[in-house]
Amino acid sequence: MYSLKSFVIVALICTSLTVSSQNADSQQARLLVSKQVLNKLLVQDSDILVKYTIYNVGSVPATNVVLQDSGFPDEAFATVKGNLNIRFNRIPSGANVTHAVVIKPLTYGRFNFTAAVVQYKSSEGAEEPQFAISSEPGEGYIISYAEYDKKFSPHLLDWFVFAIMTLPAVVGPFMLWWVSKSKYELILKQKREKLSKD
Amino acid sequence: MEFKWMLLCLSLLAVSTGVARAEDEIDADEEMIVSEDQGLVETEGDESTIEDLEPTDADTYLLFTKPVFEEKASIELPAGRLSEFLVGFTNKGSNDLVLETLDASLRYPMDFNFHIQNFTTVLLEKTIPPGSQATLGYAFIPADAFAGRPFGLSINLAYRDYEGKQMISKLYNDTVNIIEVEEGLDGETLFLYVLMAAACVLLLVGGQQFLYSVSKKRVGGGLPSRTRANLETGTKTSKQIDMDWVPKNVLNHLNKQKAQSPKQKRVKKTD
Repeated sequence: MYSLKSFVIVALICTSLTVSSQNADSQQARLLVSKQVLNKLLVQDSDILVKYTIYNVGSVPATNVVLQDSGFPDEAFATVKGNLNIRFNRIPSGANVTHAVVIKPLTYGRFNFTAAVVQYKSSEGAEEPQFAISSEPGEGYIISYAEYDKKFSPHLLDWFVFAIMTLPAVVGPFMLWWVSKSKYELILKQKREKLSKD
Repeated sequence: MEFKWMLLCLSLLAVSTGVARAEDEIDADEEMIVSEDQGLVETEGDESTIEDLEPTDADTYLLFTKPVFEEKASIELPAGRLSEFLVGFTNKGSNDLVLETLDASLRYPMDFNFHIQNFTTVLLEKTIPPGSQATLGYAFIPADAFAGRPFGLSINLAYRDYEGKQMISKLYNDTVNIIEVEEGLDGETLFLYVLMAAACVLLLVGGQQFLYSVSKKRVGGGLPSRTRANLETGTKTSKQIDMDWVPKNVLNHLNKQKAQSPKQKRVKKTD
């Protein structure tokens, strides 16, 4: 009798423990990290906007969130505005945070935009941080300023040279017409003066 | 009394096994094993197969970021516009997992084997250490022609474990609505408005012509209006002629002719 009772009690305790452990597993923060390069054209010595978005899809807030991006080496990129290492104290459940950094490429050529690393505490009582990596924008081509200038600049000097080169073709006929017109008008004026005198 | 305790024990056992079985079925439903000859073998729900398979060490999560949806709302994707989603992947095991490919496709909703539109398969080859998480980004554009119809959206993530065993996680396998984006002014609408404006102008011109003809009839009393024809009279006086452009020899010739004219001679004789 007692053995059965004790067995049932033990079974109940085990069940409750497993349920509580499952709940503890589900009661965790979970971060999805997106990294996006927003520029359509990547140009040497021109600003590039990089956007990081962290979504907490878990059921509890994420704490001590640290985002680090070592994908932009100092010899190839200069940070214009913002910080590539940033810390968020708390990201609530169901919320998302956005962080933007403006960088400037110092060289041109193909460049692989790698993932950023995020570490956070998935629950209040968690001792070890949870590591996560963001999405990768992938490979992009940074075009040289000369190449960009060739395609997209207003070409003011080129147009000025073109205007000077076309001047003889336009001014020559105009001058001939002007001389002829002024000569005719002079004769007409003299004729009218003569008639008025008569 | 003992019978009651026995019944309670049995019910507890049944509940616990039921929970375990349900979990196994979910795993079996979501995971597929790729055999050595690369053929997809979907795992069945029977005990023997589940025992043969090791429990999956991966945990996935799908989040649409563009367009943004309410939680548990029906997914509506705009035709001809970019749709984006993020995939969260957690390695819950004790060994590395290698993410291989992420692909998406639109299927015929009545038969998911019938592909309507395939999207890019992203090659990842990304190693996820034990206990770590990774986020994968994916973007696709449903074709304009599919607007206003439901389609099956299938999103699959392929990965392999340390032994090289390949698995495919079905991240999404449900029907979505492809909606037509209601823009303010497209080419078709603009052309329609231009056509309507042209028709209005035509009606106005027609009305004006009709009213003009009616008023003319009333004023004229039905008699035809007399219009004087403009006659070309030519140059009346010599002052209107500009002789500066006439060559000198022609002018001299004309002057000689004038001097020898008989009218002038007669006038001189009478004087």
